[in-house]
Amino acid sequence: MSSPAEETERPMPRMSVGNLLRDYGLLAFLLLNVIVISILSPAFLKPENLLNILTQAAPLGMVVLGQAFCLLVRGLDLSVASVMATSAVLATSFAATDNAMMPVIFAAAIALGIAVGTVNGFLVAKRGVSPFLATLATTIVLQGIRFLYTEGSSGSTLPEGFAVIGQGRFLGLPVNLLILVALTLVLGYVLHFSRFGRQVYLVGGNPRGAMLVGIRSNAVIISCYVICAVVAAIAGLCLVGYVGQVDQWTGKGYELDSIVAAVMGGIAINGGRGNVFGALLGVFILVVMFNAVILLGLPVQVQMILKGIIVIAASALYITDGNRRVA
Amino acid sequence: MTPTQSTPASTAVTRWFRRIPLSLIVVVALLLLLTVTGTVLSDRFATSRNFLNVFQQAASLGVVSLGQTLVVLTGGIDLSVGAMISLTSNLTSGLIDGNPDRVLPVVIGVVALGAAIGCMNGLLTHYLRIHPLIVTLGMASILQGVTLLYSLAPLGKVPQEFQVLAYGRFLGVSIGGLAMIGLFVLAAIFLHFTRTGNAIYAVGGDPRGAHLMGISVARTLAIAYGLSGALAAITGIYLVSRMGTGDPWRGEGFELASITPVVVGGTILAGGRGGVLGTLLGVYLISLLNNLLNFLDVSTFYQWIIQGLIIITAVAINVERGRRA
Amino acid sequence: MRMACPRAPGDAQFPCNAANFMTSAIVSVTGMSKSFPGVRSLDRVDLEVARGEVRALVGENGAGKSTLIKIIAGAYRPDDGELAFDGRSTRWSSPHEAARAGVHVIYQELILFPDMTVAQNIFVNDQPRNRFCLIDKADMRRRATAILEELGSPIDPDEKVRNLTVASQQLVEIARALKSNAKLIIFDEPTAVLGGHEVDILFAMIARLKARGVAVIFISHRLEEVFAIADSATVLKDGKLVGTLPVKELTQSKLVSMMIGRPLADMFPPKATSEPQGAPVLAANDIWSGPKVKGISLALHKGEIVGLAGMVGSGRTEIAHALFGSAPLERGSVTQGGTAATSPDPCQSIARGIGFLTENRKEEGLFMLQDIAVNISAPILGRIGSALFLNRTAERMLARQQIAQYAIAATGPNAAVVNLSGGNQQKVLLGRWVNTSNTALILDEPTRGVDVGAKMEIYRIIRELANRGLGILVISSELPEIIGLCDRVIVIAEGRKTGELTGRDLTEERVMELAVATGGAGLPNGVAA
Repeated sequence: MSSPAEETERPMPRMSVGNLLRDYGLLAFLLLNVIVISILSPAFLKPENLLNILTQAAPLGMVVLGQAFCLLVRGLDLSVASVMATSAVLATSFAATDNAMMPVIFAAAIALGIAVGTVNGFLVAKRGVSPFLATLATTIVLQGIRFLYTEGSSGSTLPEGFAVIGQGRFLGLPVNLLILVALTLVLGYVLHFSRFGRQVYLVGGNPRGAMLVGIRSNAVIISCYVICAVVAAIAGLCLVGYVGQVDQWTGKGYELDSIVAAVMGGIAINGGRGNVFGALLGVFILVVMFNAVILLGLPVQVQMILKGIIVIAASALYITDGNRRVA
Repeated sequence: MTPTQSTPASTAVTRWFRRIPLSLIVVVALLLLLTVTGTVLSDRFATSRNFLNVFQQAASLGVVSLGQTLVVLTGGIDLSVGAMISLTSNLTSGLIDGNPDRVLPVVIGVVALGAAIGCMNGLLTHYLRIHPLIVTLGMASILQGVTLLYSLAPLGKVPQEFQVLAYGRFLGVSIGGLAMIGLFVLAAIFLHFTRTGNAIYAVGGDPRGAHLMGISVARTLAIAYGLSGALAAITGIYLVSRMGTGDPWRGEGFELASITPVVVGGTILAGGRGGVLGTLLGVYLISLLNNLLNFLDVSTFYQWIIQGLIIITAVAINVERGRRA
Repeated sequence: MRMACPRAPGDAQFPCNAANFMTSAIVSVTGMSKSFPGVRSLDRVDLEVARGEVRALVGENGAGKSTLIKIIAGAYRPDDGELAFDGRSTRWSSPHEAARAGVHVIYQELILFPDMTVAQNIFVNDQPRNRFCLIDKADMRRRATAILEELGSPIDPDEKVRNLTVASQQLVEIARALKSNAKLIIFDEPTAVLGGHEVDILFAMIARLKARGVAVIFISHRLEEVFAIADSATVLKDGKLVGTLPVKELTQSKLVSMMIGRPLADMFPPKATSEPQGAPVLAANDIWSGPKVKGISLALHKGEIVGLAGMVGSGRTEIAHALFGSAPLERGSVTQGGTAATSPDPCQSIARGIGFLTENRKEEGLFMLQDIAVNISAPILGRIGSALFLNRTAERMLARQQIAQYAIAATGPNAAVVNLSGGNQQKVLLGRWVNTSNTALILDEPTRGVDVGAKMEIYRIIRELANRGLGILVISSELPEIIGLCDRVIVIAEGRKTGELTGRDLTEERVMELAVATGGAGLPNGVAA
């Protein structure tokens, strides 16, 4: 069996420059940024500032973790922003300000995540719908349901506990951040050490091959979308706590930002490649850059331009065919 | 496999008829269904005045979706069109600033700018091997930043005559709407009767195969994205003509809005299959739907749900084994 | 220069060639050599093909056939040697230059655009234009129709390629080559994707090409084709030219021995001497699956090696998928290790100790983004640690064992499989499945891409596994392999079982007869077997 481009019997040479760039380039880039910024603005390295950055970044970091799972199985999830907003709306809909309802709210959010994730995963795995369109459709439907429910107005009552989650500290560290760390540890462990995690990589790398070695690919794919949606729901609750209020656009932009951060961090859109730390690295680069822009007194427009350039440049580091598949 | 003898005209027609893709039939059916439903539900709907209005209003969505169609046919996606519209809208009105002599040069310049930026998108995605989703997203951010740098608020104005583009009528029909149809016709000719147009389909169908057949994938992508950029620029200019002034946020939401008619019209995201006729019908479907929902006093929020349902329906029908919709 | 002697398929006109030998050669290769890192693919090969001649290029895997045709087509540059095309000495700078001069290759992986029409595919990079520089569709359709008619095909040029059969799709590629006035068309294993009847169509096509004066070189593993359509055959072995002979002077066994260079007996370990006993470890009970499996029943017992022979496209791989559960069963049932199943799935099969080494290692077998250890453990993730903790140390140890056992040339268990040569990749897969299965093993083209020395090793391992009690089902397109290795051979033709051979009965001729039994390309009359 031959193809015009294939050269049988010849091993492909490893692109060593590409590998070096890939493995260390991003980290170096981040460190370089940090160094340059601290020189230009010493305020950057102050613990308060750093903790602030991390607290702000925490919800996006969580969403990126979930998005990574979808990307790894050759999918993506555009509905995360909508899930976040719906989850936030849920938080206000129990008309309670005391914290007794909080466990219920969390449970409801997780249930929401499971429901949405299952629908997404089902459409993609069992009906062969492009992930782009399936999750876009879910986004719109969720939006509609949300608007229906709130009749367009913002919610109001939020249990105080959320403020604690969003802005409070526990043992000196922001609660948001601690939740992110916990999620990272759990999801990172699952992805790199558990059997399911291995299956995720195999299904993403070669879906047919995975089926032929006895992996139940559909279940794996659906699980990834569920994880993504559940994490997004939790992130929505954390974001609500940080912002202090809920509106229809909570989480806006998170879907594209999370994909961009993950790809910058080395998770290929084609699936089967990348790890959670790279993904978080992508988030940190974005967030550090935002913070730097503020500290340096640069206007938000510059931030946008810089973000665009960094996104393209960082993604270019991964010069492989891993990113060629269509949405 | 049917025999190829010289066929009389009637069998040629039936053969052509059998080749119409299912997706087009579905869109037309939905359009008819919508028209009938609308006529029944609202007496203001089925008037020629209303249809002419919709025809005019569809122009902006139509032109930008046309560009998006070209890109999607190559198997890619252009998420920078929204920011491009914002940029060109504010830039146009700001540079013209009421001066009629400046209209032509500015319009030409802005469209050229759109084309150039679009080309860059195509080349970046090919040579850097980055997914078009990421490239155009990054570019959108850059463009929006540049737009805001230029001006944070709506800027400048355009002379009265310029607004003829949006409001002028020819034999009672909107010039803008006619121009949009003209662009669609040109695009169809381009896709089916030029080598580059055919190359767009080839690259979308099998980029590796296209390359092996001697087609320059880089050039094809540059042209497809370049046209998308230029058409987005034209949309921005058109919107200026409608509003009388620019707006640095004018294009917000257009990137995703421009994909709906493409997908509904039967062009699949994987590329290689579909066409501009489907998009045109999809544009009218969406515009007519919004129009009807407005008449029925359905809040914009519910319109979202219905749009989502339309996407789902269109996708459900277009899903086929082998190529993902 | 048109050939003066018209030919019919299979009617080798060697005297015609000899008389015009010098002046009517379309391509002439002298002393051609090419090396890749670690392997000398071609070693001073000479080849000459006359205009309008049909030459078969045969040899084992790795003999250098693919390399040779790629040099002729301009896809590779030779290290040494001369290439002359159409009377002129050349060094192609690119395949496009060669194509413009008249050399076209039709690879097994067809370059077609399924959503475009036949006419569009034929003219995909070269559409005729009118004076406005727009594509002249009427002219395109006319020209396409003309070429298709010349090839004797009723295909509608406005039909979308997606809707055509594979044989018709291949024809579209041939039409594309013809439209540019090809002088030499090279086919790389064209019948690999064709069913019996479609092969006839292809051969008729080749006969027409010959009548038009177009020379044809085709690579094939299928000896019957050499005798059916070729005028002459060139045999390569280990990169060297063994010989070029007119088909009239060849017999199947002579061809085979030229190809493998040694008597069949030496390659294979001794077969099982006792009759298979006990209940079958893997059996098919009148199974129907998809368009290619029609009512197959077979049984595999402990300790035996059973071969599935047949032409490529006869349905053997599909039978394997049905047995393993990776293709749905419409009718019938499969028995695995004593348990009957009407809808088996790979997960269950593996749990019951059945393994399946698939034909297509890059697309279906390997996880190219991963290393050797991950690839080897893939089917048995359940046995390496628990759900909560994958024991990577155990995994690496397992990989090391396999690397040692199969002499896989790699830096270690964490070497990326993408960097291994084809043969070593195949060994990784073999290691994976041998390790997984203790009931039955299905091997689809197990020695594809493996060099001759390693093949012997693999045969030995397969026999050892059988002696240890596994039942092994081998699918192979290499006749000598399947006859030498297997205790008995079931022959499949067009989805049906046409016979079962064992012992003295198991000869290449008998296998061939049964493989073409339902009307595929038959052996022409009068050819000595």
